[in-house]
Amino acid sequence: MRNYFYYGLFGLALGTTLSMSGFTDYAQIHSLFILQNIPLFLVFATALGLNMIGFMIILRNKKLPKKKFTKGTITGSMLFGIGWALTGACPSIALVQLGEGKIAAVLTIVGILAGVWIYRRSTTKSLQFDTGICGEE
Amino acid sequence: MDIYLPWWAAGAALSFITLGFYITLHRPLGVSGSWARIVLWKNDRAIKQAEAPFQDNPKLFEDALMAATIEEFGEQKVLDFMNARNKHTGTDVETPTTTTSISPNRSPWTAHLFFLIMLIAGGVLGAYLRGGLVIQTTLGELHTSLFGTGIGSLMMLFFGGLMVGFGTQMAGGCTSGHGLSGFSRLAPASIIATFSFFGTAIAFSMAAHYLG
Repeated sequence: MRNYFYYGLFGLALGTTLSMSGFTDYAQIHSLFILQNIPLFLVFATALGLNMIGFMIILRNKKLPKKKFTKGTITGSMLFGIGWALTGACPSIALVQLGEGKIAAVLTIVGILAGVWIYRRSTTKSLQFDTGICGEE
Repeated sequence: MDIYLPWWAAGAALSFITLGFYITLHRPLGVSGSWARIVLWKNDRAIKQAEAPFQDNPKLFEDALMAATIEEFGEQKVLDFMNARNKHTGTDVETPTTTTSISPNRSPWTAHLFFLIMLIAGGVLGAYLRGGLVIQTTLGELHTSLFGTGIGSLMMLFFGGLMVGFGTQMAGGCTSGHGLSGFSRLAPASIIATFSFFGTAIAFSMAAHYLG
């Protein structure tokens, strides 16, 4: 039950923040990708910088397994990059866009579901493709 | 509608969420992983079924371990080891309690579903705070001027989403898992992934903007 509470809380907080930062607006994200949106770039850079400091403090004495480099890391990320440029959405943004009333995001969501399903189908057939599930390391 | 939080406040909030998620749930934030867990919801049931006999009777788990040990080393060797251990300590050593779960740190898939539903709720709240919810059938003027409004633009959204879904699974993470959580822990794979997806998105958008 405790887990449900935190998943819900951070889901709500992440959705609200993304909506209020400009990441859900196609025009904003497009201007970021053509390198004309310094503020949006700074949002990501600030979060990254603070996370670096935060994780350094939290993980002082702990060794956390790091994400593994697989042969899918670069190819998969490049596919994701094209998809992001086309839809203005990453896996969380599509949902936030829907919440904001952008009905067209339903198509992106259906697409994401189909993409995840196809990939997971291919990994059950051939383990070579399996690159793990994010957050489960 | 176009008024956003100042960049430092939005960045600080995103960082607060990433770190808070890690501190409370003991795992890095990763939205693409939640999608996978929902699509693979049937696996949860299979794991539960496999674990059920051991949950009801933890002794079964120890018996299974013992059977496997005997099979590997032979009964005599195991007996010798047990005798030597009992002689050494003088008493019957209590076996440490073993966990009966294959995956003790795993959240049920419904928690991930709740997470994604609350992301939608966050969009509602965000739009409300920025001045009101507006129902739109498109992704805005710029998207329309670039891709139109016809069936072609709708297909573009579907296939774009397909690439986002397939690509993030193949890469093992997305903007949150690789970008916010992995990059800041200086995981080389995450740094490479982040440069790959941002780089590709920039190259693609530049081409669409200046050539298209």
